[in-house]
Amino acid sequence: MTVQPAAPTLAEGVRVALIARLTAMGDDELLLGHRDSEWTGHGPLLEEDIALANLAQDEIGHAVLWYGLRQALDGSVPDDLAFRRDPEDFRSCLLVELPRGDWAFTMLRQFLFDCYEAEALPRLARSSYAPLAEAAAKALREELFHLRHAGLWVQRLGLGTEESRSRAVAALERLWPELGGLLTPLPGDLLLAAERALPDWDTLTAATVGRARQALAAASLDPGHDPEVPEASGREVASPHRVELLATMQSVARSDPEAVAW
Amino acid sequence: MRREATGVDLDDPRLARFEERIAAGEKIEPGDWMPDEYRRQLVRMISQHAHSEVVGMLPEGAWITRAPSLRRKLVLIAKVQDEAGHGQYLYHAAETLGARREELEAALLAGRAKYSSVFNYPTLTWADVGMIGWLVDGAAIKNQTMLAQCSYGPYSRAMVRICSEETFHHKQGKEMVLNYAAGTPAQRRMAQDALDRWWWPSVMMLGPHDSDSPNTPLLVRWGIKTKTNDQVRQEFIDEHVPELLEAGLNVPDPDLRYDEETGHWVHGPIDWDEFWRVVKGDGPCNAERLAARNKAHADGAWVREALAAYAARQDGAREPAPVEA
Amino acid sequence: MRWEVFKQDAPGKPHQAVGSVHGFDAEHALLNARHVFGRRPSAVSVWVVPADKVFSRTAEELAGFDDGSARAGGPAAEGGGQRLFHVFRKASHRRSMTFADHVLDVEAAGHDAALAGALARLEGEPAVAWWVVAADDVARSDPAEARSWFEPARDKTYKQQSAYGTVSPRRERAARP
Repeated sequence: MTVQPAAPTLAEGVRVALIARLTAMGDDELLLGHRDSEWTGHGPLLEEDIALANLAQDEIGHAVLWYGLRQALDGSVPDDLAFRRDPEDFRSCLLVELPRGDWAFTMLRQFLFDCYEAEALPRLARSSYAPLAEAAAKALREELFHLRHAGLWVQRLGLGTEESRSRAVAALERLWPELGGLLTPLPGDLLLAAERALPDWDTLTAATVGRARQALAAASLDPGHDPEVPEASGREVASPHRVELLATMQSVARSDPEAVAW
Repeated sequence: MRREATGVDLDDPRLARFEERIAAGEKIEPGDWMPDEYRRQLVRMISQHAHSEVVGMLPEGAWITRAPSLRRKLVLIAKVQDEAGHGQYLYHAAETLGARREELEAALLAGRAKYSSVFNYPTLTWADVGMIGWLVDGAAIKNQTMLAQCSYGPYSRAMVRICSEETFHHKQGKEMVLNYAAGTPAQRRMAQDALDRWWWPSVMMLGPHDSDSPNTPLLVRWGIKTKTNDQVRQEFIDEHVPELLEAGLNVPDPDLRYDEETGHWVHGPIDWDEFWRVVKGDGPCNAERLAARNKAHADGAWVREALAAYAARQDGAREPAPVEA
Repeated sequence: MRWEVFKQDAPGKPHQAVGSVHGFDAEHALLNARHVFGRRPSAVSVWVVPADKVFSRTAEELAGFDDGSARAGGPAAEGGGQRLFHVFRKASHRRSMTFADHVLDVEAAGHDAALAGALARLEGEPAVAWWVVAADDVARSDPAEARSWFEPARDKTYKQQSAYGTVSPRRERAARP
């Protein structure tokens, strides 16, 4: 991991808020990429194994970006963040922690997350915090393709067969409410928005939900009411899914505490 | 070998011209005349190679979720992705000969198709992932480099593309094992244990001895293979043994010795009984590997049906696209 | 369905036949082509064509040495009118990972006529195989999306062998903290 150059000097409150926000972003991407990677070798078509492996690499690559930005702020080593933090110290949302489910579940979860990134990244690319703006611009590059891929699947699931449709509906019933958990601002986000380091979160939420709704409607899928965006972020709670995921993910890294390099 | 037994008509003038083309280093492309036996041997070899790549995704793929660093995680996902991609290039090459991927896959799932026995061994520790990259992919590279000169255009092209991607597999595997061999006592033990289990399967991966390889002479004559199994095996051993020893590891062959006169490493006897057992389906993981592929195929049926239905609806004038059953 | 894939490595270079993908419709095939052939550099454009819409002739077939049992060569007879065809040529038997390069566009009534036109125009130039596809049969990646489709692969250096250098025990020991 290349060490990021030292970050511009920040007020302490802003620094702490940024660390929290970057951690949440990194954790979301890492766990999502991990869930995507579980399909490798088990997809419905050889080309889809290759496709999902691409998505997994993209998301984990984003995690590396966000963790790297945190490293520049407090010296945390990304591998330590990923492999040596306990579940209760992660700040991922339930949406990305849920098990991979069937193909419809994975495609729709990816779709919802891509809708969020499609709205968040262009706004983050205008962040007053330059390292974040640069990283977001980089991550934004693959977003167009992600959207095209996600859109292809929303269409084919919603407008394919009765079975694909009913699986899509079942997936949305589970996933749509969790979109709120992804979009809930962290306590420090208000300060960051005031500093223009982060976009206004209400605008981001409305844009994400609107974009998702539009694409779903084009596939005759109606997710129902807007997802509730809870007052308090649920990210501080280690769900059983997060615990299970991390137990697997960290098992080798933690098996030899003396190991310096893997 | 008696070519008559394979149905090759020695008096066919087209055969003479075909063999002249091969001797001149020309590539045979789809549409060119070829003996049925050439086509048959190629479909057999290429499909077995393709199946090996696809089944080969499973032993390493099982460790993706446990890769112990962000870099290793990315690398392993990319590597297993490449294996899918390599299977993909090879199925394409087989399809240029008239085979259908769906039929080849059905044969694999039904246990009627062969694939490299090396993938029927379990991956018991994280170090296995490194050892597979170093040894199994090392052996594969030797074989694939040789096959890149193959007379059949599509197979040659698939091999060239695969070779360009496989080198990274080899390097990252070696990087991993060298790290562990020089690491903590637990890491060193893990590396040695992995070598103890993967050395002989890798050596055997290069195929039976030439004396037990009835297809080889014809394959060499027709430019499908340009070296024999034993030749490639010797190259593999000569390259990897010194590096394993330099890393401080012990190669699990008590008869292994360096022959000053020939400049080659001489290996001990290979347990071919075990090899044939595993090839015929009685290896530790044969059933597990096929069960996983069957499950993926079955679980994916509704997805393929949805894709077909959507495509058919889009272009209502056309017949619905055949569902890949 | 099988779709032949053509990839352009850089602006100004020809699209080259690189292999095929399975896909259920053109959009699916196009995205699959990007997944399979765009996961490493370099690419700026991909085209896909249904495999049964590719008209193919080897030098041997053109010289009449084949026995007629070879493929009749793709698309069924077509109606009148001039259409645009892309012509691809494999020039030599040199070892390569690509098959044939886009060398010419021809207006013609059909694939056969398009190849005849290409042969006339490129008379004297060596060739061992030809492919002809109708421009209308080609699904193409959007040049406006090229950056998104193909640039990110450049940053994935962890899977490029050139990023590894020589891996040796001495170097690994030296690199340890």
